[in-house]
Amino acid sequence: MKKILFLYLALVSIAFGYNYDDLVLKAQASIFPKIILLDKKIENKLIDGKIVYTIIYDKTDYLTALSIEKFINKNFQGHLDTYNYKINLVDFANFSEKTDASAIYVLNLKKHIEKIATIARRKGIISFSYDINNLKKGLMFSLVLEKSTVIYLKKENLYTKKIDFVEALLQMVRFVDQDYAFKENTKYDDRFDSKNFYARLTSSII
Amino acid sequence: MKQIKSLSSKIVFLITGVTLASVLIIFNVFERINKEAFYNIETQKAKLVLNTIEPLIALNIYLNLNDRIDPIIKQLVINPDILAIKVLQGDKLINERKSKEFKSSIDNSFIVESSIFQPNSKKEIGRLVLTYSSKNYIELIDKYTKLLVQVLVMFGIFFLLFSLYVKKLLSPLRKIAKLLKGYAPDKNINIPFENQNNEIGFISSALNNMQQSIMQYSEQQQNINHYLEEKVDEKTLELRKQLYTNTLTGLPNRRSLLRDISIFSENSLVIINVDDFKEINDFYGQVVGDKILIELAKKLKNMLSQEKNITLIHLGGDEFALYFTQESLLKNFLEITKSLIADVEKIIFFHEENELTIRVTLGSAFRMQKALEKADIALKFAKKEGKSFLLYDEKLNVEQQYKNNMEYTKKLNWAIENNKICAFYQPIFDNKTNKVASYECLIRLIDSDNNIIAPNKFLTIAKKSKLYSKLTKIMIQKSCQQFEHLDYDFSINLSVEDILDKGIVEYISYNIKKYDVSKKIVFELLETEGIENFEEVSSFIYKMKSLGCRIAIDDFGSGYSNFEYLLQLNVDYIKIDGSLIKNLAYDRNAQIVVETIVSFAKKLNIIVIAEYVHNEGVYQKVKEFDIDRSQGFFLAKPQDTI
Repeated sequence: MKKILFLYLALVSIAFGYNYDDLVLKAQASIFPKIILLDKKIENKLIDGKIVYTIIYDKTDYLTALSIEKFINKNFQGHLDTYNYKINLVDFANFSEKTDASAIYVLNLKKHIEKIATIARRKGIISFSYDINNLKKGLMFSLVLEKSTVIYLKKENLYTKKIDFVEALLQMVRFVDQDYAFKENTKYDDRFDSKNFYARLTSSII
Repeated sequence: MKQIKSLSSKIVFLITGVTLASVLIIFNVFERINKEAFYNIETQKAKLVLNTIEPLIALNIYLNLNDRIDPIIKQLVINPDILAIKVLQGDKLINERKSKEFKSSIDNSFIVESSIFQPNSKKEIGRLVLTYSSKNYIELIDKYTKLLVQVLVMFGIFFLLFSLYVKKLLSPLRKIAKLLKGYAPDKNINIPFENQNNEIGFISSALNNMQQSIMQYSEQQQNINHYLEEKVDEKTLELRKQLYTNTLTGLPNRRSLLRDISIFSENSLVIINVDDFKEINDFYGQVVGDKILIELAKKLKNMLSQEKNITLIHLGGDEFALYFTQESLLKNFLEITKSLIADVEKIIFFHEENELTIRVTLGSAFRMQKALEKADIALKFAKKEGKSFLLYDEKLNVEQQYKNNMEYTKKLNWAIENNKICAFYQPIFDNKTNKVASYECLIRLIDSDNNIIAPNKFLTIAKKSKLYSKLTKIMIQKSCQQFEHLDYDFSINLSVEDILDKGIVEYISYNIKKYDVSKKIVFELLETEGIENFEEVSSFIYKMKSLGCRIAIDDFGSGYSNFEYLLQLNVDYIKIDGSLIKNLAYDRNAQIVVETIVSFAKKLNIIVIAEYVHNEGVYQKVKEFDIDRSQGFFLAKPQDTI
């Protein structure tokens, strides 16, 4: 029965599922859980003493979500640094205020992004998005593989008292403007902002 | 190095030295502090770089975004001060960048390390090693050293100028000092700088004023000194005159004479002594005595007014001297002397209504060394001999006598100290029984050579040297002790000096009682002394007789024997003088006198003793004359034991 179900899901995914970039997924699965630990208020986000990493997916992407879970477990072996974690796979239709989550990772969705983002913001949940374009809809982080790995952050989405990231993260990420129009496969200049960096460094030394 | 004598140089050198030392110390301290501070600044800068990039590096390592580290450190080494940077994850080097200047500047660099902590955690995940250039530090030190040298040079120049200025300021003091070197109270030195309105001006003014004051004072002092010199001269003359003049008579004094006679080796002089002048003083008073002396001085002066070669001298008190300043013949010398005696004795002095005459004794020395001493000896001999004039003659042997006296005085003192004053005992025999009736205790001195010395050699000297009473006491004590347990009578000779000495009398009484010899002891007293001091002798005899003692009259018949006196003294024995006994065998006169004495004594029951029995003939005569007892060398000599 399970095999039939899996086969069904696989066929559904192939037939109707989004075509994810596997490298991006792995990169995001490697980095996003770690970003959770960069929140100085992580202690407030623990649920039963665990970090709950909730992956929200469309039912057509269930297998993708499952593979991400598998990847994370393999990568982190059940704990992030000193914290144990738990991965929840939640169909976006089931996501509500009642869903446990220290952080959410939203796979590609065409609808309800705003709703998810609103809940996340209200509950102070750190939100990651597979698709950078979803940042415009209220999610916080996304990751793009360009010449190098680039983490994007929608600054406006960070304005919640329940989240407080280390400053270095804010120096490292690339911010997404409200009005900036993202396009798929958009290439960002990945050069290190050395001018700004040295301007800050020099002023702090002098 | 030449010693710095200038005050200004000293001040400048001192200030310069102290200031330079202070500056060097301060700069040295500051240099050390600053070097350390510069080093710390550079270290802090390096650390700040590390601290700034560390979170970003840490985040990239944490997120495994190691490829993002390289751009950071690549940009970092653009900084010329950063020579190299290493990023280690654990011990694994994950990135390293070196600047172009690394090789050339590695020797002037230092390394700063910093840990990389996992973001939002204290977990160390790596290390940053930064090689930082010391170029800035060296440049700062160079600048600082240059500045220090500049400051020191400036200080040097400043103090050089300062020293020149101080020298210039103090140069007037040098000039003043030079001027004052030749200063003398009678010299007026014009010190310039008086117009300067500063301390030097005040000093110059004060010195000029002081000079004037000193000059005035000096003049006053010179006047005072002149006056004092005159006064001192006057006083010196006066004192010299007083020194050599007798204040009473105005004649030259003893000091004057000593000065005069010291010029020649031999001198002739006469000392004139007024006989019994003390009695005049005592009877008429010292004022009268002085008047007589003044009058005598005048008279003598008049008498000698024609004698140009004789100086009259008042030696002091009642003594005058004639000093012959030129040699004269002995004949003239004696004539002048003798006529002087006659003339002086003719002088009559008047006091109130009394007429006073004086007698003088003269001692003289003619052409002799130590003339004053010799004239004095001659005077003493003249007095002793009762002569009015005596010329010193070596035959007088006076000096030998003096020497002899001094020797015996020494011997006496030695003998007393060393218990060498001894009692010798000569027996007195009863002429009827031929047995010893008693012993006479005779004093002897045993000298340091164990010679036995008879009392005629030292008794007179003992009296002069005040040792006589000691000898008497020794004899009394030793004699009494000797006869304490012997059944013999014994006799002790006493002089009138002993009897008049209360201490001796008490001592006799004490010893008689102590040794219980009152019934044995006989005191022999000289007949002549008894007559001269009858009352005292009589009192002593009474006192001794009351104790049970007996009395003998010694040397009876030697003087003007007075039987009445003998009766009054109530004596027990008569010892006939040896001069009578000595020739008794053939001298008819002696026989008559002895016969009379014996006859008289028998009637009064006085025992008669013949002394000086020196041969058989005398002894037989003594017996023939019925003399009770005999004593003499024929019978027994004095012995130190009984």
